[in-house]
Amino acid sequence: MKTILPVLAVLCMGTVAMAAPAERYLHVKVDDQMGHEHVRVNIPLSLAEKVIPAINQGQLRDGKIEIGHSHANGVDLKALLDAVKSAPDGVFVTVQEPGTDVRVAKLNGKMIVHVRDKGGKERVDVTVPWDVAQALASSGEQQLNVEAAIQALEKTGDTTLVTATDNHQTIRVWIDSRNTSD
Amino acid sequence: MLLLGKIGMGVLGTVLVTGAVVSSEGFIHVKVNEKRRNGTHISLVVPAILAPVSLKFVPNRYLAPGAANVRPYLPVIDAALSGLADCPDGPLVEFTDANEQVSVVKSGGSAIVDVNDPNETVHVAVPLRAAQSTIDEIASAGGPI
Repeated sequence: MKTILPVLAVLCMGTVAMAAPAERYLHVKVDDQMGHEHVRVNIPLSLAEKVIPAINQGQLRDGKIEIGHSHANGVDLKALLDAVKSAPDGVFVTVQEPGTDVRVAKLNGKMIVHVRDKGGKERVDVTVPWDVAQALASSGEQQLNVEAAIQALEKTGDTTLVTATDNHQTIRVWIDSRNTSD
Repeated sequence: MLLLGKIGMGVLGTVLVTGAVVSSEGFIHVKVNEKRRNGTHISLVVPAILAPVSLKFVPNRYLAPGAANVRPYLPVIDAALSGLADCPDGPLVEFTDANEQVSVVKSGGSAIVDVNDPNETVHVAVPLRAAQSTIDEIASAGGPI
């Protein structure tokens, strides 16, 4: 009897752990040293997964963002994604712009984007698991599928998605299973 | 004597059932403390079910403008409230600057907002189910949804 009870307890705990996968959270942390402002946002991905498809406003409809043939700061997002997709692992696609350098690569199953301004004051690093990037681009050329990207994010491990810093502000966006940012 | 006992049991049962119904959707808690001298201090605890129920007695013509405003956002509100109800408790938003702290937390089926600024502290706790019923009640004032 003494040996059966611990075994049963372990089995029960294992069943509970398997039945209820841990909630995944998207965290946003903004620290502004000048204004002494600190923002922490913790969004359960299950909540985002329910809310995003319900929004039909502006360019966001049915969980997809209409980008059309739009260019972000002169960068054709879709063309960039296609270029990275066909490039070998580790090779950067570099986009030179007047004030900024954008470098994109596929590395270890992740899409990595580095943005640096020429003055060196601003830097943005984006790391998107490749599955998420592909999910984002899964709705054809003129849409970003945000809903599919969130579903893909739920399956990825803990990872930092975005870090951005300038002279007085630091922004970090990441995914993990903790419900707090600290 | 026996009859008195039966009446007593009936009254007690009615009180218990009424209490259970009234508290079934939880309680809305609003607390405001002004920090200035002789400032206002309010603490209200209201059964949340009173909000949607009392709206049933408000003539539609008063609720119709609100209904028109709410209806376009109803799918998002419904999704957000049901999503919030299903997700685990925890802090959702925290903002601090030199003067002010604001937090939005989901706890025990309620959304709790706390604000602490130089003038006052405000605490509002609203059960999500009651919020959903109240918004549905307002939205239905403009005709069937």
